[in-house]
This record gives sequence, structure tokens and C-alpha cells, in this order.
Amino acid sequence: MNLKETCAIVGIGFSEFGKKVPKSTMTLTLEGCKRAIEDAGLAKDDVDGLLLVLPSQEGERHGWVCRTCSHLGISSTFSAGLDIGGATPIAMVQLATMAINAGMCNTVVCCYGWQNSPMGIPLSMPPGLDFTAPYGDLAALPFKAQVARRHMHLFGTTSRQMGAVAVTFRRHACMNPQAQMYAKGPITIEDHQNSRMIVEPLRLLDNAPITDSGGAVVVTSAERARYLRHRPVYISGMGQAHSGEFMRPWRDPRYPEGTFEGGKAAEIAFSMAGVKHKDIDIAQFYDGFTILVIIELETYGFCKPGEGGSFVEEGRLELGGELPSNTAGGLLSEGHLMGMGHIAEAVRQLRGECGERQVKDAEVAFVTGYGGSPHEYPISFSYSTLILTR
Amino acid sequence: MVGKFEGFEIPKPIPALTEDTKPYWEGCRRHELLIQRCHDCGHYRFPPSGLCPRCMSTNTEWAAASGKGEVYSWTIFHYVYHPAYAKDIPYNVAIVQLDEGPLLHTNIIECKNEDIYIGMPVEVMFEDVNGEISLPKFRPLSE
Repeated sequence: MNLKETCAIVGIGFSEFGKKVPKSTMTLTLEGCKRAIEDAGLAKDDVDGLLLVLPSQEGERHGWVCRTCSHLGISSTFSAGLDIGGATPIAMVQLATMAINAGMCNTVVCCYGWQNSPMGIPLSMPPGLDFTAPYGDLAALPFKAQVARRHMHLFGTTSRQMGAVAVTFRRHACMNPQAQMYAKGPITIEDHQNSRMIVEPLRLLDNAPITDSGGAVVVTSAERARYLRHRPVYISGMGQAHSGEFMRPWRDPRYPEGTFEGGKAAEIAFSMAGVKHKDIDIAQFYDGFTILVIIELETYGFCKPGEGGSFVEEGRLELGGELPSNTAGGLLSEGHLMGMGHIAEAVRQLRGECGERQVKDAEVAFVTGYGGSPHEYPISFSYSTLILTR
Repeated sequence: MVGKFEGFEIPKPIPALTEDTKPYWEGCRRHELLIQRCHDCGHYRFPPSGLCPRCMSTNTEWAAASGKGEVYSWTIFHYVYHPAYAKDIPYNVAIVQLDEGPLLHTNIIECKNEDIYIGMPVEVMFEDVNGEISLPKFRPLSE
């Protein structure tokens, strides 16, 4: 059974977001849900499914999804809390599509809330850091620095090429007044090169800012979507790939045997949607770090392994380029909206709501998520993709 | 192994032993690098777990690793993620691939940061943290 265009995204919404928002994780979640339901032109009683990202920063919290339903006053017939890191928002849209087709529910809110320093939660060392923290290796960025170093070694990728990712997405954010970095204005490659080293070879501007936020999208059947407020944005293709191999996120010519191919996530989605790379009008790549975008371009087949750096440097990801990407600024400059921002921006582009940054006649969007356990042993990776059409 | 932070002494994080990892850390305490080897297919794996990811055998033995390997990737920390490491900055964190195959995070010691390179041959050394924990670290392999 091909689920192509059986469901659509009909509502998107976000809480107030920024570096520090004095609201609880739950309140940020609820605000995102409220705005997404309102954007769809629905009432809360029209919603009968709720999916959410388990908020790992809150520690172990049983029943988070049920309590969110209670706070929203929604009686759901299908709910689940999920965690595959930054790949989760897309995975929720996929699961919602499957649940609606299975007859479990009709209209699903997929949501998340994220607060970087929640009140009342003691700081603790997450499990899985026993083999990194004692060496001074903590947080999400350092492993990406290892990946970047390896990519530079294998393919000659440069820091300036990574800088081109940051510069491009900041330029896009400067056309998005909601973006966290909007007020900071544009940056140049020299600004990137002069930004301080965090973990060599990655600099401050290779890194997404921290953001407190909540957000949601509403998924319903294509049939129902036609009678709602906005032009429906159809879910045409979806894919996932999860590495069974430790620490190797890309095809490594030294280790061809058994090397994980995250590209399956795109192959499955392209096949379902019946589209090819040249059909993609806009892309939203999960960009917690600049190097990720370069690796995703290679992994998903937009260029050959090792050519991601020059692909970006040639301006192909810019508005007006051949693959306009992260048109709202991405995690790097719109803010760390956990990948939900990527889905929402694809929806806005396909609705034609983007004003100055609108890609003319955008009809097909490719959206990616990336996560898994990208810095806790055993380090491993989850990729998720969506192809959205209007 | 202690850093200063607003007048408090904050120790560096140390590993918490689990059912899976206890034999590894006990080996380190004796300055032996033990890694798991599948008793059925011979596959070496790290981190420790109860099942071979190649053949799904639960028949596992702890084997003494050669302690030799090479640098797979490396980084230099300029940012203080944890106050206990503030005085160490800039310090390196590398990933070493053991001759037996597994990859692991470590620090390269007895070597300037700028002299580290991918492919550098290294050998294990043990740094005693306290009475129970010794950390395997790696130094350039002497010719």
C-alpha cells in the first residue's frame, strides 16, 4: 500500500521562542499545539491523536503524552511519546500518516517542547557518557568535530566550505523576522573564520544556537484537508534509516564493507513519492552543525561523496540557487526548533506564505531530520525524511 | 583531577560501573585493556554489551587487547563544557581505532596537540584516577 498523498499537513504553530524563555517545557508544548490547531482552523475537539517528542531534558517522566492530552483537554484514540532525537518530528508525521490510514484516528497533533534549563530538574550525567565524559568530551558538538575532521581528511573539505553553510542560512534568516538570529544581521565567510573555536575544527558559527521553544503540526486525511483553512500540503514520501554501525555516519572508503548507508531514508521517500532529485524545488536539511548539511547532501544523493563542500560553496543552497535550502534560516539561524521548524517552513513555502524569501512556484519539498544517539555510546545515527507536495 | 568553580571544587566525571561495564573498568584498574570477543564468531566489540551485533551470540569472552591502534579522528577543546576541565584547555579528545577493530574515545598523551594526525600509531597507557578507576589513554607508539 502506497500512502502517497493520503494525508496532509494542515496546521503549523510555535510558541514564543528564543535563547531563554521563562516558561515550562509543558507550557511551551501547549502553546505550540494551540497555535497549530488554530492555524488549521480546527477546534481542539476535532483532534483525536497526539504524538510528542519525549523531552529528554526533563529526565525520566512517565506518562508525558497522557498528561499533555489532559492539559489540552483532548480525548485521543491514538497517542505515543517518541525519541529518536532530532529525527523525531519527521517520524511523528510519518506515524500520524500510518495511524490515520490504519483507522486509529483522524486528526493528529505532532508536537514537542524544549527548555534548556528546566526549573526543578537536577542536572545529571546521562547514561552512555561513561566512555566520553571522563576524557572531557561532553555535549553534542564535539562528536561533530570528530566527524568534520574525518571528512576534511578523507575529502579535503574546508572550514570555509562549512562557513558557506552558515553564511547562506543566515542570509535566509535575515528575510525571516521570526528568526532568532534575525536581529544579528548577515554574516560573511570572514566572520565565520574569525569566530572563536569551540571544539577544533568547529567554530562558534558552525553551531546552532540554544533555543527554548515548543511547536506542533497537525496531520489529517487528504479528504478532510480539502475543507480546511489552508491549501493542503500533502505527505508524498517518507523514509527512515537507522545505523547499526557505531560512529560512522557516512560511507568511508577505507571501510566499505558493512558501512551504513543513511541514504536509504531518501531512497524510500523518493520511491514512495515517485520523484527524483531534480524535481525537488526546496529542501530543509537538519543543520544542528554546518558539517551535517555537507554530509546529508552526499548521503541523500544530491552530490557524490566528498563533493558536499564544493556544492555549498558554489551557492547552490541559496535562494535563487538550484536547491534553495533552509529558507527560514534553519537550526543554525532561525533557532533550534528541533527539526519541527524545517517541516513548518516547507509547509509555508508550499502554501506560498513566505513573502521576500518565497521560492516561486515551489511544489515539491524535501525535509530531513537527524538524531538517534549522536553523542552517547554506542554512538549511532537516525535519519528521517519527508517529501511534501502541494 | 579537580577544577575550581565559584569556590567549589568540582571533580571530573568518572564512569559509573554497570553489570555490562564492570569487567572493562576492573581490567583498566589492573592496567589491562580488556574488550569483548564473541566466543562464536570472534567479532570484537565495544562498548560492552550482552550480545554480539554480528551473529547475535550471547556467548562472550573478555580478551586482552593488544593496546595498539591508530588515531581515527581528533579534536581540540577550546570551550569549557564542564568546569573541571577549565584548566586543561586547550586539550585534545581523539577517537582511536584499536588493531582489533573497535573505536573508542580517549586523550592522546605525551604528544603536543599540533602533532596529532589521523593514522598516527598509538599505544595504551593507564592513568589512575582514584582507587577504583583508571582511564585508558594513548601515546604515540615508540618505534
